[in-house]
Amino acid sequence: MILTIIIVLGILMLAAAFMALYLKDLLSAIIASGAISLMASVIYIILAAPDVAMTEAAIGSGLTTIVFLYALHLVRKKQEDKHD
Amino acid sequence: MVEIIYNIAGIIALAGIVIAFIRLLLGPTAADRTVALDAMTIITISLIAWLGYMLGRKIYLDVAMVYALISFIGVVAIARYLERGL
Repeated sequence: MILTIIIVLGILMLAAAFMALYLKDLLSAIIASGAISLMASVIYIILAAPDVAMTEAAIGSGLTTIVFLYALHLVRKKQEDKHD
Repeated sequence: MVEIIYNIAGIIALAGIVIAFIRLLLGPTAADRTVALDAMTIITISLIAWLGYMLGRKIYLDVAMVYALISFIGVVAIARYLERGL
């Protein structure tokens, strides 16, 4: 059962990584990178490292998503200013 | 008997993650993907609590709690971005 969870989550993580690489919409790519850290956190827990999983949850899902969104917001604002 | 019920619960949680991921993969707009990520996060929290029972470690519940709080902030940030705010 545990091995099944690891295999399924690993396949989903790989698919999310390819999504983050090949999607043209940048917001969707950021969401996909959040999904990667979600499944990495569960795999860390199965590998008996709860502190690493907690750090991955705080940084990978929370901080990285917010920083990427802020950067995307700034880039779009700069492009709109350039068009005007 | 209890083990069978817990195994079925784990299989159902895993199936829920896979189904939500299919919506994340196909979803045409970013809002669909955001809602799919939120659903996947909630099912994953239940899966972490399930793992805490199956592996016999209470410390995993803390990880589930931290993940619930942090992922809520992330989803709120994405929602604010979709409204052109941030």
